[in-house]
Amino acid sequence: MRNWFFLVTIVILGLLEVTLLNYVRIFNVKPDLLLISLVISSLFFGMKWAFILGVSAGITKDVFAANTFGANTLLFAIWTYLIIKLSKKIAIDNNYTRLPLVFIIALSNSIISRLILLTQGNVVPLGITLRIIFFEPLYTALIFPLVFKYVSPELYSKLIKR
Amino acid sequence: MNPRLNKFKKKNLVYSAGLCVLLLFLSALIPSLRTPLVDIFKLPLNLLNFTRQEIAGIIFYHQHMAQNEELRRENNSLRQKLITLNEIYRENERLNKILSLKQKSSYRAVAAKVIGRAADAWSSVIIIDKGSYHGIKRGFVAINYLGLVGRVIETTLSTSKIMLINDPNLSVSAIIERSRQEGLVSGTLGAYLMMKYLPKEADVKISDVIVTSGLTSAYPKGSLIGTVVDIGEEFLGLSHYCLIEPAVNLSSIEEVLIIIP
Repeated sequence: MRNWFFLVTIVILGLLEVTLLNYVRIFNVKPDLLLISLVISSLFFGMKWAFILGVSAGITKDVFAANTFGANTLLFAIWTYLIIKLSKKIAIDNNYTRLPLVFIIALSNSIISRLILLTQGNVVPLGITLRIIFFEPLYTALIFPLVFKYVSPELYSKLIKR
Repeated sequence: MNPRLNKFKKKNLVYSAGLCVLLLFLSALIPSLRTPLVDIFKLPLNLLNFTRQEIAGIIFYHQHMAQNEELRRENNSLRQKLITLNEIYRENERLNKILSLKQKSSYRAVAAKVIGRAADAWSSVIIIDKGSYHGIKRGFVAINYLGLVGRVIETTLSTSKIMLINDPNLSVSAIIERSRQEGLVSGTLGAYLMMKYLPKEADVKISDVIVTSGLTSAYPKGSLIGTVVDIGEEFLGLSHYCLIEPAVNLSSIEEVLIIIP
Protein backbone atom coordinates (compact mmCIF):
# COMPACT_ATOMS: atom_id res chain seq x y z
CA MET A 1 0.00 0.00 0.00
CA ARG A 2 2.70 2.51 1.02
CA ASN A 3 4.56 1.67 -2.23
CA TRP A 4 1.64 2.97 -4.26
CA PHE A 5 1.36 5.98 -1.98
CA PHE A 6 4.99 6.77 -2.65
CA LEU A 7 4.51 6.35 -6.41
CA VAL A 8 1.74 8.94 -6.31
CA THR A 9 3.99 11.14 -4.17
CA ILE A 10 6.69 11.01 -6.86
CA VAL A 11 4.25 12.25 -9.47
CA ILE A 12 3.10 15.02 -7.12
CA LEU A 13 6.71 16.02 -6.43
CA GLY A 14 7.35 16.10 -10.19
CA LEU A 15 4.38 18.41 -10.69
CA LEU A 16 5.56 20.61 -7.82
CA GLU A 17 9.00 20.81 -9.38
CA VAL A 18 7.72 22.20 -12.68
CA THR A 19 5.19 24.59 -11.15
CA LEU A 20 5.48 25.91 -7.60
CA LEU A 21 9.20 25.40 -7.16
CA ASN A 22 9.83 28.06 -9.81
CA TYR A 23 8.89 30.61 -7.14
CA VAL A 24 11.69 29.45 -4.83
CA ARG A 25 14.47 29.55 -7.38
CA ILE A 26 17.73 30.95 -6.04
CA PHE A 27 20.33 31.99 -8.62
CA ASN A 28 17.97 30.45 -11.20
CA VAL A 29 18.34 27.05 -9.55
CA LYS A 30 15.64 25.01 -7.80
CA PRO A 31 15.96 21.94 -5.59
CA ASP A 32 15.58 18.53 -7.23
CA LEU A 33 12.64 16.96 -5.39
CA LEU A 34 12.65 13.90 -7.64
CA LEU A 35 16.22 13.13 -6.68
CA ILE A 36 15.27 13.44 -3.03
CA SER A 37 12.41 10.99 -3.61
CA LEU A 38 14.92 8.62 -5.27
CA VAL A 39 17.20 8.71 -2.21
CA ILE A 40 14.26 8.13 0.13
CA SER A 41 12.91 5.20 -1.93
CA SER A 42 16.39 3.62 -2.16
CA LEU A 43 16.84 3.78 1.61
CA PHE A 44 13.38 2.72 2.74
CA PHE A 45 12.06 0.23 0.17
CA GLY A 46 13.15 -3.23 -0.94
CA MET A 47 15.31 -3.69 -4.02
CA LYS A 48 12.39 -4.28 -6.42
CA TRP A 49 10.28 -1.33 -5.33
CA ALA A 50 13.28 0.94 -4.93
CA PHE A 51 14.05 0.35 -8.61
CA ILE A 52 10.44 0.82 -9.68
CA LEU A 53 10.20 4.07 -7.73
CA GLY A 54 13.65 5.30 -8.80
CA VAL A 55 12.93 4.65 -12.47
CA SER A 56 9.49 6.30 -12.09
CA ALA A 57 11.17 9.39 -10.66
CA GLY A 58 13.62 9.35 -13.60
CA ILE A 59 10.81 9.02 -16.14
CA THR A 60 8.90 11.85 -14.47
CA LYS A 61 11.98 14.04 -14.69
CA ASP A 62 12.55 13.11 -18.33
CA VAL A 63 8.93 13.91 -19.18
CA PHE A 64 9.34 17.44 -17.86
CA ALA A 65 12.86 18.02 -19.20
CA ALA A 66 13.96 19.10 -22.64
CA ASN A 67 17.13 17.11 -23.06
CA THR A 68 17.68 13.52 -24.23
CA PHE A 69 14.76 11.38 -23.11
CA GLY A 70 15.90 8.48 -20.96
CA ALA A 71 19.06 10.04 -19.59
CA ASN A 72 17.52 10.75 -16.20
CA THR A 73 15.74 7.37 -16.15
CA LEU A 74 19.05 5.59 -16.67
CA LEU A 75 20.94 7.77 -14.19
CA PHE A 76 18.26 7.39 -11.52
CA ALA A 77 18.36 3.58 -11.90
CA ILE A 78 22.15 3.67 -11.42
CA TRP A 79 21.88 5.92 -8.34
CA THR A 80 19.24 3.60 -6.85
CA TYR A 81 21.54 0.60 -7.28
CA LEU A 82 24.52 2.45 -5.79
CA ILE A 83 22.56 3.75 -2.78
CA ILE A 84 21.19 0.26 -2.04
CA LYS A 85 24.75 -1.17 -2.23
CA LEU A 86 26.10 1.63 -0.05
CA SER A 87 23.36 1.28 2.56
CA LYS A 88 24.37 -2.35 3.00
CA LYS A 89 27.96 -1.34 3.73
CA ILE A 90 27.38 1.65 6.01
CA ALA A 91 24.51 2.74 8.21
CA ILE A 92 22.57 5.60 6.67
CA ASP A 93 19.96 6.04 9.35
CA ASN A 94 19.92 9.71 10.25
CA ASN A 95 19.85 13.08 8.52
CA TYR A 96 23.54 13.72 9.24
CA THR A 97 24.48 10.86 6.92
CA ARG A 98 21.55 11.26 4.51
CA LEU A 99 22.32 14.92 3.85
CA PRO A 100 25.87 14.38 2.46
CA LEU A 101 24.54 11.38 0.53
CA VAL A 102 21.89 13.56 -1.17
CA PHE A 103 24.55 16.18 -1.91
CA ILE A 104 26.95 13.65 -3.45
CA ILE A 105 24.24 11.98 -5.55
CA ALA A 106 22.89 15.36 -6.74
CA LEU A 107 26.41 16.57 -7.53
CA SER A 108 27.23 13.41 -9.50
CA ASN A 109 23.88 13.62 -11.31
CA SER A 110 24.52 17.26 -12.20
CA ILE A 111 28.07 16.60 -13.46
CA ILE A 112 27.02 13.63 -15.61
CA SER A 113 24.01 15.54 -17.01
CA ARG A 114 26.36 18.36 -17.97
CA LEU A 115 28.78 15.92 -19.62
CA ILE A 116 25.92 14.39 -21.63
CA LEU A 117 24.96 17.86 -22.85
CA LEU A 118 28.58 18.66 -23.66
CA THR A 119 28.74 15.68 -26.01
CA GLN A 120 25.82 17.25 -27.89
CA GLY A 121 27.83 20.43 -28.50
CA ASN A 122 25.90 22.38 -25.89
CA VAL A 123 28.17 25.21 -24.68
CA VAL A 124 27.40 26.94 -21.39
CA PRO A 125 29.71 29.58 -19.84
CA LEU A 126 31.92 28.22 -17.06
CA GLY A 127 30.43 30.46 -14.36
CA ILE A 128 26.88 29.30 -15.07
CA THR A 129 28.04 25.66 -15.33
CA LEU A 130 29.75 25.82 -11.93
CA ARG A 131 26.80 27.62 -10.41
CA ILE A 132 24.39 24.88 -11.52
CA ILE A 133 26.78 22.01 -10.72
CA PHE A 134 27.47 23.12 -7.15
CA PHE A 135 24.51 25.19 -6.12
CA GLU A 136 21.75 22.81 -7.21
CA PRO A 137 23.10 19.87 -5.13
CA LEU A 138 23.63 22.17 -2.15
CA TYR A 139 20.09 23.54 -2.38
CA THR A 140 18.71 20.00 -2.82
CA ALA A 141 20.66 18.69 0.18
CA LEU A 142 19.57 21.59 2.39
CA ILE A 143 15.91 21.12 1.52
CA PHE A 144 16.10 17.35 2.06
CA PRO A 145 15.20 17.31 5.81
CA LEU A 146 12.09 19.38 5.13
CA VAL A 147 10.92 17.13 2.29
CA PHE A 148 11.79 14.00 4.26
CA LYS A 149 9.62 15.20 7.14
CA TYR A 150 6.52 15.11 4.92
CA VAL A 151 7.41 12.37 2.42
CA SER A 152 8.86 9.82 4.80
CA PRO A 153 7.68 6.21 4.14
CA GLU A 154 7.60 5.73 7.92
CA LEU A 155 4.98 8.44 8.08
CA TYR A 156 2.95 6.62 5.40
CA SER A 157 3.15 3.38 7.39
CA LYS A 158 1.82 5.17 10.48
CA LEU A 159 -0.99 6.73 8.46
CA ILE A 160 -1.95 3.40 6.94
CA LYS A 161 -1.96 1.70 10.39
CA ARG A 162 -4.32 4.36 11.70
CA MET B 1 -33.51 88.30 48.67
CA ASN B 2 -32.94 92.04 48.13
CA PRO B 3 -35.27 93.16 45.30
CA ARG B 4 -32.64 95.70 44.12
CA LEU B 5 -29.99 93.01 43.83
CA ASN B 6 -32.41 90.74 42.07
CA LYS B 7 -33.25 93.52 39.63
CA PHE B 8 -29.51 94.17 39.09
CA LYS B 9 -28.90 90.49 38.31
CA LYS B 10 -31.81 90.37 35.88
CA LYS B 11 -30.52 93.55 34.25
CA ASN B 12 -27.04 92.04 33.88
CA LEU B 13 -28.51 88.89 32.44
CA VAL B 14 -30.48 90.88 29.88
CA TYR B 15 -27.39 92.91 28.98
CA SER B 16 -25.28 89.79 28.60
CA ALA B 17 -27.89 88.11 26.42
CA GLY B 18 -28.17 91.26 24.35
CA LEU B 19 -24.41 91.38 23.96
CA CYS B 20 -24.33 87.77 22.85
CA VAL B 21 -27.13 88.35 20.33
CA LEU B 22 -25.31 91.45 19.10
CA LEU B 23 -22.05 89.54 18.75
CA LEU B 24 -23.79 86.71 16.92
CA PHE B 25 -25.57 89.21 14.70
CA LEU B 26 -22.29 91.01 13.97
CA SER B 27 -20.44 87.73 13.34
CA ALA B 28 -23.12 86.76 10.85
CA LEU B 29 -22.83 90.12 9.11
CA ILE B 30 -19.05 90.47 9.30
CA PRO B 31 -17.35 87.08 8.62
CA SER B 32 -13.95 88.32 9.87
CA LEU B 33 -15.44 88.52 13.38
CA ARG B 34 -16.46 84.86 13.28
CA THR B 35 -12.93 83.50 13.52
CA PRO B 36 -11.99 85.10 16.86
CA LEU B 37 -15.37 84.07 18.24
CA VAL B 38 -14.89 80.51 17.19
CA ASP B 39 -11.37 80.64 18.60
CA ILE B 40 -12.71 81.72 21.96
CA PHE B 41 -15.12 78.80 22.07
CA LYS B 42 -12.62 76.32 20.64
CA LEU B 43 -11.01 75.22 23.89
CA PRO B 44 -14.21 74.62 25.90
CA LEU B 45 -15.80 72.99 22.87
CA ASN B 46 -12.85 70.67 22.48
CA LEU B 47 -12.92 69.87 26.15
CA LEU B 48 -16.63 69.11 26.06
CA ASN B 49 -16.29 67.09 22.91
CA PHE B 50 -13.40 65.10 24.40
CA THR B 51 -15.42 64.36 27.53
CA ARG B 52 -18.45 63.35 25.44
CA GLN B 53 -16.30 61.07 23.33
CA GLU B 54 -14.69 59.44 26.33
CA ILE B 55 -18.03 58.84 28.03
CA ALA B 56 -19.53 57.48 24.81
CA GLY B 57 -16.44 55.31 24.42
CA ILE B 58 -16.96 53.82 27.87
CA ILE B 59 -20.71 53.37 27.45
CA PHE B 60 -20.55 51.92 23.94
CA TYR B 61 -17.30 50.00 24.44
CA HIS B 62 -18.72 46.59 23.50
CA GLN B 63 -20.65 47.97 20.55
CA HIS B 64 -17.48 49.70 19.27
CA MET B 65 -15.42 46.59 19.80
CA ALA B 66 -17.83 44.49 17.72
CA GLN B 67 -17.97 47.23 15.09
CA ASN B 68 -14.16 47.42 15.04
CA GLU B 69 -13.90 43.67 14.59
CA GLU B 70 -16.40 43.77 11.74
CA LEU B 71 -14.55 46.67 10.08
CA ARG B 72 -11.26 44.85 10.42
CA ARG B 73 -12.75 41.81 8.73
CA GLU B 74 -14.21 43.98 5.99
CA ASN B 75 -10.85 45.75 5.57
CA ASN B 76 -9.02 42.45 5.21
CA SER B 77 -11.57 41.18 2.73
CA LEU B 78 -11.32 44.43 0.72
CA ARG B 79 -7.54 44.24 0.76
CA GLN B 80 -7.73 40.69 -0.56
CA LYS B 81 -10.13 41.82 -3.26
CA LEU B 82 -7.81 44.70 -4.14
CA ILE B 83 -4.87 42.32 -4.55
CA THR B 84 -6.98 40.02 -6.75
CA LEU B 85 -8.21 42.96 -8.81
CA ASN B 86 -4.68 44.29 -9.21
CA GLU B 87 -3.62 40.88 -10.46
CA ILE B 88 -6.56 40.76 -12.90
CA TYR B 89 -5.73 44.31 -14.03
CA ARG B 90 -2.12 43.36 -14.77
CA GLU B 91 -3.20 40.19 -16.57
CA ASN B 92 -5.71 42.20 -18.57
CA GLU B 93 -2.99 44.68 -19.52
CA ARG B 94 -0.70 41.90 -20.72
CA LEU B 95 -3.49 40.12 -22.62
CA ASN B 96 -4.51 43.41 -24.25
CA LYS B 97 -0.95 43.91 -25.48
CA ILE B 98 -0.84 40.33 -26.78
CA LEU B 99 -4.22 40.81 -28.47
CA SER B 100 -3.10 44.02 -30.18
CA LEU B 101 0.08 42.23 -31.33
CA LYS B 102 -2.06 39.35 -32.61
CA GLN B 103 -4.23 41.79 -34.56
CA LYS B 104 -1.22 43.62 -36.01
CA SER B 105 0.59 40.42 -36.98
CA SER B 106 0.10 39.16 -40.51
CA TYR B 107 0.48 35.59 -39.25
CA ARG B 108 -2.20 33.52 -37.58
CA ALA B 109 -1.39 33.21 -33.91
CA VAL B 110 -2.52 31.23 -30.89
CA ALA B 111 -2.29 32.77 -27.42
CA ALA B 112 -1.26 30.41 -24.63
CA LYS B 113 -0.58 30.51 -20.91
CA VAL B 114 2.59 29.21 -19.29
CA ILE B 115 1.71 26.34 -16.93
CA GLY B 116 5.15 25.00 -16.03
CA ARG B 117 8.90 25.05 -16.47
CA ALA B 118 11.55 22.39 -17.10
CA ALA B 119 12.32 20.05 -14.23
CA ASP B 120 16.09 20.19 -14.75
CA ALA B 121 18.50 23.09 -14.48
CA TRP B 122 20.30 22.31 -17.73
CA SER B 123 17.56 23.46 -20.05
CA SER B 124 15.38 26.51 -20.34
CA VAL B 125 11.95 25.28 -21.29
CA ILE B 126 8.39 26.35 -20.56
CA ILE B 127 5.23 24.27 -20.84
CA ILE B 128 2.13 25.97 -22.28
CA ASP B 129 -1.55 25.04 -22.12
CA LYS B 130 -2.10 24.71 -25.90
CA GLY B 131 -1.09 21.77 -28.07
CA SER B 132 -1.62 20.04 -31.39
CA TYR B 133 -5.39 20.26 -30.93
CA HIS B 134 -5.04 24.05 -31.24
CA GLY B 135 -2.92 23.75 -34.38
CA ILE B 136 0.50 23.99 -32.75
CA LYS B 137 3.27 21.89 -34.27
CA ARG B 138 6.94 21.30 -33.54
CA GLY B 139 9.13 24.13 -34.85
CA PHE B 140 6.57 26.93 -34.52
CA VAL B 141 7.88 30.20 -33.11
CA ALA B 142 6.75 31.70 -29.80
CA ILE B 143 6.74 35.45 -29.25
CA ASN B 144 5.12 37.94 -26.91
CA TYR B 145 4.47 41.66 -27.20
CA LEU B 146 8.10 42.42 -26.25
CA GLY B 147 9.86 40.13 -28.70
CA LEU B 148 11.05 36.62 -29.50
CA VAL B 149 10.47 34.00 -26.79
CA GLY B 150 11.53 30.67 -28.29
CA ARG B 151 10.49 27.71 -30.35
CA VAL B 152 8.11 24.78 -29.91
CA ILE B 153 10.06 21.54 -29.42
CA GLU B 154 7.34 19.10 -28.39
CA THR B 155 3.58 19.01 -28.54
CA THR B 156 0.91 16.83 -27.00
CA LEU B 157 -2.81 17.17 -27.65
CA SER B 158 -3.26 19.98 -25.14
CA THR B 159 0.22 21.08 -24.07
CA SER B 160 3.47 22.10 -25.74
CA LYS B 161 7.04 22.58 -24.66
CA ILE B 162 8.80 25.73 -25.79
CA MET B 163 12.56 26.00 -25.73
CA LEU B 164 13.39 29.56 -24.71
CA ILE B 165 16.02 31.61 -26.52
CA ASN B 166 18.32 31.44 -23.50
CA ASP B 167 18.68 27.67 -23.87
CA PRO B 168 22.11 26.77 -25.31
CA ASN B 169 20.46 24.23 -27.63
CA LEU B 170 18.59 26.96 -29.49
CA SER B 171 20.34 29.17 -32.03
CA VAL B 172 18.74 32.01 -33.93
CA SER B 173 20.12 33.72 -37.01
CA ALA B 174 20.10 37.42 -36.18
CA ILE B 175 21.29 40.82 -37.40
CA ILE B 176 22.29 44.06 -35.76
CA GLU B 177 19.46 46.38 -36.78
CA ARG B 178 21.70 49.45 -37.27
CA SER B 179 24.61 47.97 -39.21
CA ARG B 180 22.86 44.86 -40.68
CA GLN B 181 25.76 42.72 -39.42
CA GLU B 182 24.76 39.05 -39.22
CA GLY B 183 25.53 36.66 -36.39
CA LEU B 184 24.21 33.66 -34.51
CA VAL B 185 22.42 34.22 -31.23
CA SER B 186 22.34 31.36 -28.75
CA GLY B 187 21.47 31.00 -25.10
CA THR B 188 23.75 30.64 -22.11
CA LEU B 189 21.20 29.47 -19.50
CA GLY B 190 21.90 32.78 -17.79
CA ALA B 191 20.35 36.22 -17.99
CA TYR B 192 22.12 37.12 -21.24
CA LEU B 193 22.25 35.70 -24.75
CA MET B 194 25.39 35.48 -26.83
CA MET B 195 25.78 36.61 -30.43
CA LYS B 196 28.66 34.65 -31.89
CA TYR B 197 30.74 34.56 -35.06
CA LEU B 198 30.94 38.31 -35.53
CA PRO B 199 33.94 39.32 -37.69
CA LYS B 200 36.64 41.36 -35.95
CA GLU B 201 35.76 44.41 -38.03
CA ALA B 202 32.02 44.05 -37.30
CA ASP B 203 30.19 47.32 -36.70
CA VAL B 204 28.64 46.70 -33.31
CA LYS B 205 28.12 49.06 -30.40
CA ILE B 206 26.66 48.86 -26.92
CA SER B 207 22.85 49.39 -26.98
CA ASP B 208 22.55 48.15 -30.57
CA VAL B 209 19.25 46.40 -31.19
CA ILE B 210 19.34 42.77 -32.34
CA VAL B 211 16.51 41.34 -34.43
CA THR B 212 15.94 38.06 -36.27
CA SER B 213 17.45 38.06 -39.75
CA GLY B 214 14.79 36.05 -41.53
CA LEU B 215 17.59 34.15 -43.26
CA THR B 216 15.71 30.92 -42.68
CA SER B 217 11.96 30.57 -42.64
CA ALA B 218 12.15 29.27 -39.06
CA TYR B 219 11.82 32.74 -37.53
CA PRO B 220 9.87 35.70 -38.93
CA LYS B 221 12.16 38.55 -40.00
CA GLY B 222 12.53 41.52 -37.68
CA SER B 223 11.40 39.98 -34.39
CA LEU B 224 13.10 41.78 -31.54
CA ILE B 225 15.63 39.68 -29.63
CA GLY B 226 17.33 42.20 -27.36
CA THR B 227 20.00 44.88 -27.00
CA VAL B 228 23.78 44.60 -26.86
CA VAL B 229 25.22 45.09 -23.38
CA ASP B 230 28.81 43.92 -23.83
CA ILE B 231 31.27 43.15 -26.63
CA GLY B 232 34.21 40.78 -26.35
CA GLU B 233 36.75 38.78 -28.27
CA GLU B 234 36.40 35.01 -28.62
CA PHE B 235 38.93 32.72 -26.93
CA LEU B 236 41.11 32.18 -30.03
CA GLY B 237 40.84 35.81 -31.06
CA LEU B 238 39.41 34.96 -34.46
CA SER B 239 36.08 36.62 -34.02
CA HIS B 240 34.04 38.80 -31.71
CA TYR B 241 30.98 38.02 -29.66
CA CYS B 242 28.50 40.25 -27.95
CA LEU B 243 26.28 39.72 -24.93
CA ILE B 244 22.62 40.56 -25.44
CA GLU B 245 20.05 41.39 -22.84
CA PRO B 246 16.82 39.72 -24.04
CA ALA B 247 13.88 42.02 -24.66
CA VAL B 248 11.60 39.50 -22.98
CA ASN B 249 12.06 38.77 -19.29
CA LEU B 250 12.37 35.02 -19.76
CA SER B 251 12.31 34.14 -16.08
CA SER B 252 8.86 35.61 -15.46
CA ILE B 253 7.05 34.99 -18.70
CA GLU B 254 3.34 34.18 -18.25
CA GLU B 255 1.70 34.34 -21.68
CA VAL B 256 3.01 33.69 -25.18
CA LEU B 257 1.77 33.85 -28.73
CA ILE B 258 2.52 30.91 -31.03
CA ILE B 259 2.87 31.95 -34.66
CA ILE B 260 1.19 29.56 -37.06
CA PRO B 261 2.69 30.04 -40.53
